[in-house]
Amino acid sequence: MHSCVLLCAILLPVAAALLLRFFKQNNGRAVHLYIGAATVLTSVLVWGLILRCPEDSFRLITFTDSLTLMLRFDALGRFFAGIVATLWPLTVVYAFEYMKEDARAKTFFTFFTLAYGVTLGICMAGNLFTMYCFYEFLTLTTVPLVMHLQTKAAIRAARTYFAVSLGGAAFAFASMIFLLANGADGSFALGGLLESYPYAKPYITKIFYCLGFFGFGVKAALFPMDGWLPKASVAPTPVTALLHAVAVVKSGAFAIFRLTYYCYGTELVKGTWAQNVVMAFAVFTILYGSSRALKDGHWKRRLAWSTVGNLSYILFGAAMMTKAGFAAGLLHMAFHAEIKMLAFFCAGAVLHQTGREYVRDLDGLGKYMPLSFACFTVAALALIGIPPLSGFVSKWYLLTAAADSENILAYVGAGILLVSALLTAIYMLTTVRRAWFPGKNTEASGLSGTREANLKMTVPMLLLALGILLTGVFSQPILQAIERIVGLR
Amino acid sequence: MSFCVNFPLFCVVACLLCAVISSVLKDKAARLVSMGLTLAVLLCNLFLLIYILQEGSSVTYLMGHYPHPWGNELRISILEPLFCLAFSCVLLLCLLGGRKHIKDDLREEKRNLYYVMADLVLSSLLVLSYTNDIFTGYVFIEICTLSSCGLLMIRQIGRTTLASVRYMIFSLLGSGLFLLGVVVAYSLTGQLLMPSLKASIASIYASGEYRTPLMAAICLITVGLCIKSGLFPFHFWMPDTYGCATPASSGILSGLVSKGYIFFLLKIIFDVFGTEVFYASGMQNVLYAFGACGIVVGSVSALRENDISRMIAYSSAAQIGYIYLGIGISGNLGVIAALYHILTHAMTKPALFLAAARLSDTAGGARRFKDLQGAGWANRTAGAFFTFEAFSMIGLPLTMGFISKYLFALAAFRTGVRMILTLVVLAVSTVLNTLYFARTVIRLYNKQETELRPCPMKKQASYAFAALLLAGVNVGCGVFVRPLLHLLSKGVDLF
Amino acid sequence: MIKTIMLCLILLPWAAGFLLPVLKLKNRRGKCALISAVLLLEAAGAVVMLLQKSAELTLFSMTKTLTVALRMDGVSKLFMAIAAFGFLLSGIYAFRYLGHSEREDSFFGFFLLSLGALMGMDLSSNLITMYLFFELITLLSMPLVLHDRTEESIRAALKYLFYSIAGAFLALLGIFFLARYTTTLDFVSGGSLNMGAVAGHEKLLLVVIFLAVVGFGAKAGMYPLHGWLPAAHPVAPAPASAVLSGIIAKAGVLAILRLVYFSVGADFVKGTWVQMAWLGLALLTVFMGSMMAYREKVFKKRLAYSSVSQISYVLVGLFFLTPEAAMGGLLHIAFHACIKICLFLVAGSFIVNCGKHRVDELAGYGKAMPKTLWSFTLASLALIGIPPASGFVSKWYLASGALNSGLSVYSWLAPVVLLVSALLTAGYLLPITIQGFFPGKNVTIPEKNNEGGILMWLPIIVLSAAAVLLGILSGCFTDAFSALANSMFG
Repeated sequence: MHSCVLLCAILLPVAAALLLRFFKQNNGRAVHLYIGAATVLTSVLVWGLILRCPEDSFRLITFTDSLTLMLRFDALGRFFAGIVATLWPLTVVYAFEYMKEDARAKTFFTFFTLAYGVTLGICMAGNLFTMYCFYEFLTLTTVPLVMHLQTKAAIRAARTYFAVSLGGAAFAFASMIFLLANGADGSFALGGLLESYPYAKPYITKIFYCLGFFGFGVKAALFPMDGWLPKASVAPTPVTALLHAVAVVKSGAFAIFRLTYYCYGTELVKGTWAQNVVMAFAVFTILYGSSRALKDGHWKRRLAWSTVGNLSYILFGAAMMTKAGFAAGLLHMAFHAEIKMLAFFCAGAVLHQTGREYVRDLDGLGKYMPLSFACFTVAALALIGIPPLSGFVSKWYLLTAAADSENILAYVGAGILLVSALLTAIYMLTTVRRAWFPGKNTEASGLSGTREANLKMTVPMLLLALGILLTGVFSQPILQAIERIVGLR
Repeated sequence: MSFCVNFPLFCVVACLLCAVISSVLKDKAARLVSMGLTLAVLLCNLFLLIYILQEGSSVTYLMGHYPHPWGNELRISILEPLFCLAFSCVLLLCLLGGRKHIKDDLREEKRNLYYVMADLVLSSLLVLSYTNDIFTGYVFIEICTLSSCGLLMIRQIGRTTLASVRYMIFSLLGSGLFLLGVVVAYSLTGQLLMPSLKASIASIYASGEYRTPLMAAICLITVGLCIKSGLFPFHFWMPDTYGCATPASSGILSGLVSKGYIFFLLKIIFDVFGTEVFYASGMQNVLYAFGACGIVVGSVSALRENDISRMIAYSSAAQIGYIYLGIGISGNLGVIAALYHILTHAMTKPALFLAAARLSDTAGGARRFKDLQGAGWANRTAGAFFTFEAFSMIGLPLTMGFISKYLFALAAFRTGVRMILTLVVLAVSTVLNTLYFARTVIRLYNKQETELRPCPMKKQASYAFAALLLAGVNVGCGVFVRPLLHLLSKGVDLF
Repeated sequence: MIKTIMLCLILLPWAAGFLLPVLKLKNRRGKCALISAVLLLEAAGAVVMLLQKSAELTLFSMTKTLTVALRMDGVSKLFMAIAAFGFLLSGIYAFRYLGHSEREDSFFGFFLLSLGALMGMDLSSNLITMYLFFELITLLSMPLVLHDRTEESIRAALKYLFYSIAGAFLALLGIFFLARYTTTLDFVSGGSLNMGAVAGHEKLLLVVIFLAVVGFGAKAGMYPLHGWLPAAHPVAPAPASAVLSGIIAKAGVLAILRLVYFSVGADFVKGTWVQMAWLGLALLTVFMGSMMAYREKVFKKRLAYSSVSQISYVLVGLFFLTPEAAMGGLLHIAFHACIKICLFLVAGSFIVNCGKHRVDELAGYGKAMPKTLWSFTLASLALIGIPPASGFVSKWYLASGALNSGLSVYSWLAPVVLLVSALLTAGYLLPITIQGFFPGKNVTIPEKNNEGGILMWLPIIVLSAAAVLLGILSGCFTDAFSALANSMFG
């Protein structure tokens, strides 16, 4: 297959989104069918590309000798694209029901589908510059989504997100220029692009690596740039679920993987102060995110803080700078995506059906919305790390990688991982408890008319719950694929 | 020698002539004359550029066959026609896009005078680019100052008058210092033509005597031009001036006039002092420092502004700082970055001013942010273009602004000089830029608080066309960078 | 065939427990019959398995190193038997205890689910499977604690949940390190440490194992993670408390046993500071638990503290790391299960039939509920350790094991503490009997009642009889226990 098909996979959702402008009706079967078809078609195309991938790269535009926009679908990109392509159709179906009464649904779906194309661009980027471009575009396409409800909180959240993202990208830009200026302008290569950096002393190189890590770390909600994520949870649930649990934040983690393992190369940074700095921040964020989740009584915000913590699990894996750490981080990237998406879907279903946002208002809802809360319980258990669900496997591998890394900070991190697991148990299970086992005096008030959400919302939830179970029980194939990406076999 | 080399002289003469004629024509005729003139100038420069590229070397044009050092000369190389091409293009689009506002803001009997001033500005820009004689340059600097003040004052509301007086004072201060510097240089060398000056100065420098007067000349000339172009700390006339002028004027002044002065400064650095002498004087460090300060101070001030046009004006101050930063980095790469940024800013800033004016029209002329909430929905065209140009200012990929940032960073790296400081300043300014532009763009697309007058695309065809062209050039130069960079680097070599 | 039965021991109660709240059966008698049938089948299945030598079954592999598998050996048999019979008797009692309460379905549902998970844990063949079922037990038994849905019960249930999970994560740390330093995660008697890999990392391994045992000890109520027990027991319904103390807490003991004997191996830990620390903690718990029980006036809470103390008897026996002491511990597992279940059921009877929660209100109830109080007395005697009741036998082996252990301080300290604790036990159990039968002059003697009906007093009588008879007939099975204890040492 010629590699220009890669471009088709990116342009298909973009074109579909732009053409949506010509639809007369705002919401309705025509719109739904069109967007659904476009999304599913793109996903099928992407999976086809994953399975029969073209090896060569495809040059789009050459700006200057060192700045070229280039697509290349290597193993890591295929992995991320697989996650994204699988989860996007589920979210779109969920969104059809969720945004049923929205007045500006068309605008919503335009940007939503645009974001799909851009995310695929990030997956398929063949070099750092291309990935950076699509990274910036992702911010642009997702800001309108955060802002969609146009309440004061949404506007503020959008502003923060916009400013912080682009600001962070500026630092990542500096890191990228450093590489380009030193001649490392080739496409991604596992192990790093250059042996040495002729124009700069080693400590300069490390400084720029750290700048890049923190710059991309903004999207991955690394402390202290994590504040935007809980604020952005005011967006409609499909946005929070997909973009802020899967596409946007995992793009940040993905970018950091690319930066560390495919551009600078771990040999440069491993064992130095730079590694300690980034790992310290990752470990701190794990604890910080989990603690803040504990304190927050607003359900979606609590889940957002949980995402902050879990993303740093992935960054922790990346910061170990070993193949095992890389693999463990990738594993958690995949598993956390499905788990967190399911959790947000459940929260969204409850919000949609009852309008209740705070955990303290959830008493007794389990009786009226058993399916949603059963799925949420599965997600909760997976997040805590109860075997045989997927979350256990990824935690196990993170611990293994940490113990193998022979880095004291990694040992500390492993301990913090377990503490964070306990905190996760507390903040997830208290929610579960309230839903299923309400206290005597808190009998559900005004819930008599509550029913389970529509099929379009519950079926994706069930599929995700099933997925969590299956990927946990049969995690060997995924692990093998990851080990091949990372170079462990 | 082909006929083309006569073009610069023809253009200048034509501009002056048209200025004179327009003073007696009526409004509509004057406008057509102006735009036609600018279009002609544009085409002339295009042909000239093509010719020079074919020739491969620069051409010196004697005026009136008087040999030097007594006569006057024009020098035609790659950069001059390129920049004049750009300048005339922007001027045309400013006039086109700001047409409605010229009609609304000015009294009927004054409108033709506006076009007179525009013609004069065009002529001075041409001369500043092409001249090979420093005194001629001075003369046309003064013409430029006067006509730009005219462009400002012509709006005749209280604030503009005040602002233009302030502008005139600063400008004349700058011109005065410049003249002083020219006088010192003349007394040192006895020459006014640039090539002769250069040779003279080189020998003086080599001999080692008269060091102090030489340095003084360099300082005076540089500082004079810096003041005129609005480098920190001489930038605070900008918000008042650009903020309340008619948008076409804001565009012309911010996008063209200040750039003309900077281009002239670069010419002087390369063709009068020579890079060796200039760098030895250490002026470039001063330029670097003030440029960096300008970037930060300009951005911070923009952040604190509540009025959209003033915010854009402060942003201009920051962008001028960028250009001086590039010059201050020293070395060809820095100069190329600065030149590219001149083009970027010339394309972007007028577009921003025009769009902002259109948006405030929907709110009945109000310019405060809280009155502009939701304006992006009322006037979708202006909103879209404003957003696009804002992205260019922030430096998003696929726009010229991104390539500018890239070139500055690369220049900093490759020369190794003050690398970290430059990058930090770049990063900080990107963050600040993002902050205030993001805030504005989001405000524009808020829910509408008050009733706003909607304005569909049909009613603003000329504006839409102008804005589209500006955006198109922006994207084009942002994507097809290689030919442009090639031109610039070749031009700098031949400078 | 055997493998199917083994799997069914887990799946049958799970299926029943899951379907019960879903089906919402209307006919109460039918429902109770169904539940009894399931419990009886479990017991029968357990008996069948007891007669087999051993059995194995691999369920699935998550990854190459992480597999979930079942295997039955001697230790499994012991715990399985206790679980099956304990749940059977408590379940029958619960029919009457819960009366017609609204959330009966949910109670029995989780009751059965817990049984299934417990069976799974008993039958685990490696550390990962055991961890899996350990977590499941915690999750599935928590709803039993908060059955009443009062503020207090919810708080107690959450406390139980989080203490257990915290303990489980500490244990996971240990399991994780063991995965690296053992040759296999499967349980091998005598341990499966890869001494070559361990070399140089002994200190780390010891610390980690120590923490792991402390973590599992949370379930077993060992200090310092015992705090949930006294909170959870008073608020849970009596049959729930019974199985929590009698059986589910033993899951913690099983976990420790498997970790220490079948994964690490007694030899690695013997004589190290870790063993000393464990013994110290266990003895402290024994003493502290008895002390607190003595001072506590709420009946179920007193029994809760008593459980804390008694389970640590078992742990003391296990921590001595000698076959004799271990045998004492194993015997006490069985005996304490019988006794404690009986005691909790008695407390429950008093609550349901007379509305009395405190021990000082029970004066004169010997006349009102003779069967109950007689059974209580017999069980108390067994717990205190009066021969020939069962408690004496287990305490004997514990004491002699301690004395023969060769550990300097503990060889005499342990029997002393056990003795003191026995005295305290007498002090907190006997007065109830005495007050009940000989209330003194100024107390009105309450009316005789039906003691809850046969469904309540029969299990109580059966258990108290067992408590005594097992002691009398102990000669029949001490050999089996001795062999079992020896088999743990590889």
